Order: sequence, then C-alpha cells, then structure tokens
Amino acid sequence: MTTNEVIGLLRKGRAYASRTKYKEAITYYEKVLALDPDNPEAWYLRAVVFIETGRNTEALADCEQALRLNQNYAAAWSKKGHALYNLERYNDALFACTRALALNGNDAAAWYIKGVCLDELGRNDEAQEAFGKSLELEIILDMEAEKKKAGT
Amino acid sequence: MPLSKPIRQFVSQTETLLDTEISLLRNPEADPNGMLVDVYTYDIEKNMIIFPAHYLGLLKDFIIARHCVHLLIKGAAAKKSRYLVCSFTEDSMYRGIHQIYIDALKDEAKKEKKLPVHKLIQMLNILYTNFNDDINELPWNPITNASVYHRMPQIRKTQLYYLMKEGKMDMDEMMEYEDVIPRRYFVLNKSMFYARDQYLAKTLPADQLMPVVNIPQMKKFNHLEVKEMLTTRWTHTSWYQSKIFGDTMLEIMEKYLQKIDWNAEPGLDYFHDIYRLGVQMTNHFISYMSMKDWFVWEPPKHLREAQARKGEYENKALKKIFGDLFEESPAGSPGGKL
Repeated sequence: MTTNEVIGLLRKGRAYASRTKYKEAITYYEKVLALDPDNPEAWYLRAVVFIETGRNTEALADCEQALRLNQNYAAAWSKKGHALYNLERYNDALFACTRALALNGNDAAAWYIKGVCLDELGRNDEAQEAFGKSLELEIILDMEAEKKKAGT
Repeated sequence: MPLSKPIRQFVSQTETLLDTEISLLRNPEADPNGMLVDVYTYDIEKNMIIFPAHYLGLLKDFIIARHCVHLLIKGAAAKKSRYLVCSFTEDSMYRGIHQIYIDALKDEAKKEKKLPVHKLIQMLNILYTNFNDDINELPWNPITNASVYHRMPQIRKTQLYYLMKEGKMDMDEMMEYEDVIPRRYFVLNKSMFYARDQYLAKTLPADQLMPVVNIPQMKKFNHLEVKEMLTTRWTHTSWYQSKIFGDTMLEIMEKYLQKIDWNAEPGLDYFHDIYRLGVQMTNHFISYMSMKDWFVWEPPKHLREAQARKGEYENKALKKIFGDLFEESPAGSPGGKL
C-alpha cells in the first residue's frame, strides 16, 4: 500500500459520492479501509455516505472510529453531530457540534445542526444565534460558489 | 441535512393539506432558485423540490419554504377547480412573434447599425419564449415571498439575502441582448422585476429584515432600509426608465395582492383564492403589456406539448411573416434563415 494509492482511491470514492453513486463510493472507501484501517478520512467519508443513505447508526459508528484515530478531526465531530441529530439524540448532537466548532468555527453545517438541536431543546435564543452564524458562513460560501461559476 | 423546525412543520402541513408527498433533493447542478417538479405540472407521482448542493442550512430552508407555498397554490387550484398556466398555440405564437417583428422594425429604422437578419429571427424567438417563461413565473414570486415572510419570521434574514441576490440576477438577465431587443420589450421585461422588487420592499418591513452586518455583501447596506436597498439599484442603473412602466405594474400588483390576508388560516380555500388573484394579476399584466392574444390559459400538459412543438410553430410563424424568403430549418427545428 502506498500513500498515493490511498489518495487515489479516496478521490475516486468522493467523485462517486458527489454524483450520488453511493454504492460505488462505499466500495472505494472500503478498499482503503482494507489497505489501511487506521485511515480516519476513509471512516469519515464512509460515514458521510451512510448519512446520505439514511444509515445513521452505521454513520455514527464510523464517525466514532474516525475520532478514535484522530480526536481533533473537526469534520468527523460535525458529521457525528449530524448522525446523532438524525437519531434524535439532541443533547449528544449538541455536544458533538460544539466540539466541531471549537476545532473549526467556520463550519456552516455544524452551526446549523447546533441551531436545530437547540431549537429542539427549546433553547430558542441560542438557536437563533447559531442560525445567524450558520447563515453568515453559508452566504459567504454561496458568494464564493457564484464567483466560481461566473469565472468558468 | 436536517430542516429547521418551522420548515419541517410547513413541509408536513403542505403534504397533509394536499394529501401528497414531497421529496427534497440536493443537486450540485440545481438552479440557484431551486426547482419545483410537481404532480400538478408533470406526469409524476411524487413532488420534488431540488436545491443546490451547497445550500446547507437556512438558504435551503428558504428555497423549500417558497416552493412549498407555490405547491400549495398549484395544488389548491388543481383540487378546487383547474390548475392552468399561460401556454401558446401556433396562432398565438404567430401573433406574438409578428408583433415583436413590427416593433423591431420600428426600432431598426432608427438604428445606424442594423441588426443582421439571422440575429433578428433569433431574437424574435427568444423574446417570445422569454415573456412566456416570465409571465408564468413572475406573478407568483411576490406572492410566495410575502407568504413566507409572514408565516416564517425565523428565516427573514435569509430571505433578505436571497431577495438581493435574486433581484440582481433578474436585473442582469437579457443584458447580452440589450442592443438587439426592441426597447419596448426590454423595458417591459425589466419593469416586471422592478415592480416585484418595489412591492417586496413595501411589503416586507425593514425592521426585521436588517442586514446581517458581518456578511461582506451586506456591509454597504448597513443601516439602510430594505426599501432603499431594493430601490437604490434601480435608480442607479441604466434601467431607470423601467420606473415609469414599473410603477404602473406595481399598482397592478398591489391592486390584487392587497386583498390577501397573509396571516389567515392556511387551508385549500385560502390558497385557491390566492391562485385566482394570481391569475387575475397575470391577465392584467398581459393586458397592460398589450400581449393579450399572445398566450392562452391551458393545463400544464398543453404547455409541455407546445414547448415540444416550439420549433415547428416558430418556423410556421416566420414563414407567414417572411413568406418564401424564409428558408425553414430541417425537421421543423428552430433556426431557419432568410
């Protein structure tokens, strides 16, 4: 196994996932995991696909595996929050999103999930604050996407 | 991604009221306005709201909310009476294209640099189709926006950003045809969007739509009212002349939309009334723009079939206008020449 081989497989998996070809994406991520089970990115990326396909319990397990390998993996904390929200474990989801945001304050999705969790827990003012932060970041992302589109 | 609570409730309320299902789909290629593919317009079994993949949070929620309102209006029309759209026939298209041609000739007579004939033909087709698209979409825009504003106060800041963005896109539309399109049509098209912006500026009070100061695009509008934000652009652009027509269109819009109680109990009757007002407003616009015989109200299937035969209709219309001078393109496809 070489690093280049792993990078190539992950890239292929991501390309399939972006075209919603989830089955194929999982095949590539699992090839990486067979070669290198300590690769946190492969666990994380498989979790992303699991969430997209509604397999929230498996997504949660993969996020936890990714975090065992790298406890400062912000994206994995964020995705864990997402899986926990889908499993209606709002307090745990809130904790995961807060950890994600401590590591990366510019994660629009983590702010948004934090907002919906707070809303579910009846903490409306805090929810509005999180939504506000998420919106700011989302608008910046949107403006960047528009700029990129105009440039192509 | 999850949905925020008010949107989730609204989607579920829409499904219950219409006794239907709504699928929410992310797509990297989706139009920034999102897209509603519904059972009242297409031969499908499930409604779909498609939105751009990078809309993660409230932007996605706003798009979904707006399309849900539109779906409710369409569904109520279909259930309570008939859901109709502005379609076209061979004859109505001929009348539209012929009128644009006459107006184009008047414009061309004043121009030093004449438009090449193939471009003129292209413009006739594009302009007619463009007005058909806009007249089917624009009147519902202020309705769905005002409804979302009143029913979902939690996403008002998102709405403000979106209106600014959408307004800019609509202002930029057709710019590349500026020198090609007869002035009258350019101004009429822009006037519709001007009226929409002015109506929303008046309807959506500024106090709760204050810009989010940390957003770079909003910074220059800090402490300005929404009305100023939406009007400033129009007064500082070359489309200021749209104001004259646009003000009349705004009056038309207000005449119908002031009858709506935005906070009334949202039932099928309520949305059916909104549909009827939308149709009346559309008719008034069509009449004001002297396009009365350009379009026909028909079920969506009629429009889909007309769109499939558009090339054939265009060729026939051009043949009628130019006679034997017009050489039809193969297999009835658009793009014939003189």
